[in-house]
Amino acid sequence: MKSISKLVIGAMLIATAIGSAVPPTARAASNTATYAMYGDIKDWDPAVAFSLEVVMLVNVYEPLLWYNPPGSATQFTPALATEWHASDGGKTWTFKLREGVKFHDGTPFNSAAAKASIERTMAMKKGAYYIWGAVTAIEAPSPYTLVIKTKTPTPIDLIASSQYGAYIYSPKAAANGTKWFNAGHDGGTGPYRVRQWAKGQQVVLEKFDDYWRGWGANKFDRVILKVVRENATQIQMLRSGEADFISLVPADAVKTLSKEPGVVVQLLPSWKNSQFLINVRKPPTDNLKFRRALTHLWDYDTVVKDIYAGSASVAKGIIPTTMWGHNPDIRAPRFDIGLAKMLIDESGVSKAQRKVSMAYIGTSEEYKNSALLFQENARQAGVTVELLPGPWGTIWSKAKKLETAPNLQSMTWWPTYPTPNDWLIGLFRTEKKALFNLSHYSNPAYDKLVNEGVAAEGSDRDTAIAKYRAAQQILMDDAPAIFYADIRTRSARRANIQGFKDNPAYNAVFFYRIHRGN
Amino acid sequence: MLRYIAQRLLMMVAILFGVLAITFALSRVLPGSPIEMMLGHRPTPEQIELARTKLGLDRSLPEQFVLYLRNALRGDLGTSLRTRQPVVRDLLDRAAATFELVTLAVFIVIIVGLPLGVTSAVRRGTAIDHAARSVSIAGLALPAFFVGMLLQMLFYGWLGWLPLQGRMNSEVLLDHPFARVTGLYLLDTLLAGEWTAWRSAVSHIALPVLTLALASLAVITRITRSLMIEALGEDFVRTARAYGIPARDIYYRYALKATLIPMLTVIGLTYGYMLGGSVVVEYVFDWPGLGGYVVNAIIDNDFPAVMGVTLFLSTAYLAVNLTVDLLYYAVDPRLRQA
Repeated sequence: MKSISKLVIGAMLIATAIGSAVPPTARAASNTATYAMYGDIKDWDPAVAFSLEVVMLVNVYEPLLWYNPPGSATQFTPALATEWHASDGGKTWTFKLREGVKFHDGTPFNSAAAKASIERTMAMKKGAYYIWGAVTAIEAPSPYTLVIKTKTPTPIDLIASSQYGAYIYSPKAAANGTKWFNAGHDGGTGPYRVRQWAKGQQVVLEKFDDYWRGWGANKFDRVILKVVRENATQIQMLRSGEADFISLVPADAVKTLSKEPGVVVQLLPSWKNSQFLINVRKPPTDNLKFRRALTHLWDYDTVVKDIYAGSASVAKGIIPTTMWGHNPDIRAPRFDIGLAKMLIDESGVSKAQRKVSMAYIGTSEEYKNSALLFQENARQAGVTVELLPGPWGTIWSKAKKLETAPNLQSMTWWPTYPTPNDWLIGLFRTEKKALFNLSHYSNPAYDKLVNEGVAAEGSDRDTAIAKYRAAQQILMDDAPAIFYADIRTRSARRANIQGFKDNPAYNAVFFYRIHRGN
Repeated sequence: MLRYIAQRLLMMVAILFGVLAITFALSRVLPGSPIEMMLGHRPTPEQIELARTKLGLDRSLPEQFVLYLRNALRGDLGTSLRTRQPVVRDLLDRAAATFELVTLAVFIVIIVGLPLGVTSAVRRGTAIDHAARSVSIAGLALPAFFVGMLLQMLFYGWLGWLPLQGRMNSEVLLDHPFARVTGLYLLDTLLAGEWTAWRSAVSHIALPVLTLALASLAVITRITRSLMIEALGEDFVRTARAYGIPARDIYYRYALKATLIPMLTVIGLTYGYMLGGSVVVEYVFDWPGLGGYVVNAIIDNDFPAVMGVTLFLSTAYLAVNLTVDLLYYAVDPRLRQA
């Protein structure tokens, strides 16, 4: 027994000694910012990256243009391009490039590098390469002039500001190949360069001394992107000040966190929205009146208020309200079980057939609870709803084939670059073989409007907007989905972080633009 | 002896083949496809087609399996669809972290569990026996994620003594570089003479090890106790007592020795169980080991990674079992004579 006591006392002494030697919650130096990210970076090659890499990308790389947050005086902030204009009816785009910019590897930035960069991204056919789909030629007539030609009028300014697939990287780095990038290397011009990648643990970005905008006082010298998978852990780190930003803020933590001293929680408008797509070719949802009835069985207000706990607003159609081209005059359905019953009776769908299947990503509490609420409301209107929770991969592969597709399936969507046509084309334009048009919707009048809008986007944005607005109303009338939530990003950070501005075009924090106050 | 080892090794190969075949079949038969995971959130039909060919999904199942086995024999387990790294490299990076965590936990279970079990057996029905039982049953009954979070709240949130997650403090990891010789941070930092990094590694491993150890402590303590009670009733103990041998020697030198064979089995099983069962603990503490890796691999349908981890863990489990069997020989002279 004595030896056990000795052992225990010894262990306690050692633990105390270690504990006191390394203050575990040691705050980082004031010029270091820490961001808790829920997963590790996987694709380091900017031509391939298409996921949470954006957190790293916007700080390490730059595109030709940055898209400004909605409501800004101008639509773009010049990044690697200083001036640009379209000619030939939106089919030729000329960019004047910034001089005196260096890549992190010392290579000078010029039009040849920009051309090589975009051409490589297109040729690799990885990630978001398709945003450049309309490009026919890229020319570099002088060291700081870049000309991009397209087969149809195309909004290259918007495409060049994409959060994926539009970053310009060093030709020297590109020559090393994707494997080289994937060892945690970079080849950008951005304010930070990758200093360390400890797999599964952290990415450390360090200031690039030769950054063309220069370094004033107050800027962060170092940014730590720390892998923290559990949201409870992220919250504890934010509370203690070990993390300045966290990426996972559960809906039910918003209230408590906002009362926490030293922490700021915000619900920021995003371009992410959620809907339940309705299969328009599968009975009984091939019946228009029956589909419209379903849109009246959705309790819009309760879903955003109680289930999303305020971190969403009721959607008005498929385009989020803060995206350009949104139709503010849209006639959206309201929750009305009586009206739904009437429509169902008028639809001619027999009582025996009033049964729909509803697939959703099972791990999402929001989908699950919304679906349960819908199931109950539908029951009151005499419609049976069979719930089919599952992983996205399964839902997607089943929904693509008409034989295995459910009547309704969850879908959350956001654009690759800032354009409303991302939703209009991606989700509802006619597809020979369904890819993301999981409603299996096809309407020639709608397709025509969208195609005309896309063609006008590069030269006459007002016309494009008019076409897109009309297309949005058609979707409301044809009811190929229950459009229910414009998602707000739940953002939480330390209160002493200053200069932070949300931008729905980039799902990331621009560390160069912020600093730590007192 | 050598023949025995050879037999066991052959059996291991057969078992591993079976495990691989089953995992392979399951991963291909279950619905869902790894393609969307591999390609990001908005793949084009062209990208999907290319990926299918690249992954060999356009070939027949047996063909795919043979191809997999052929590559595996060459030491190539494919590339993870999620991390984009060769699976073998991912496994090596992460196995060391898991090995470090589990080995330390087993060590703690042994040095605490054995004496606790012996004491409980010797002082049956006393306060210490009840206390040991309560603690060990609590450790068994409470889910590891809950214990982990409680410990985090206590030692990080309230006391501020120990760090919350990870393997090392971010700044220390960056500013105190050390060579990854074994992949075990505790050892590598020592070899490099990086004391700050070593202290950081110790403070970071403390809570995950404690959480993992608590879950298995009950098993070892309770089994030691019952084996000891049985041993203490044996004739040789009575004889020893009659000879006037000090109680302490009787317990630890003679009685405990008699329990070693079944104890080794239990410890071996515990070790194997922890290798696979550290998943939750690794997740709670963001421990960059195999646990977190396999959870994400399963969620994302990352076939090559799932297969790789299965192969690796099965091999480790079988190796632990073989080691335990060989240890029987070492501790039991009767087996050696036989």
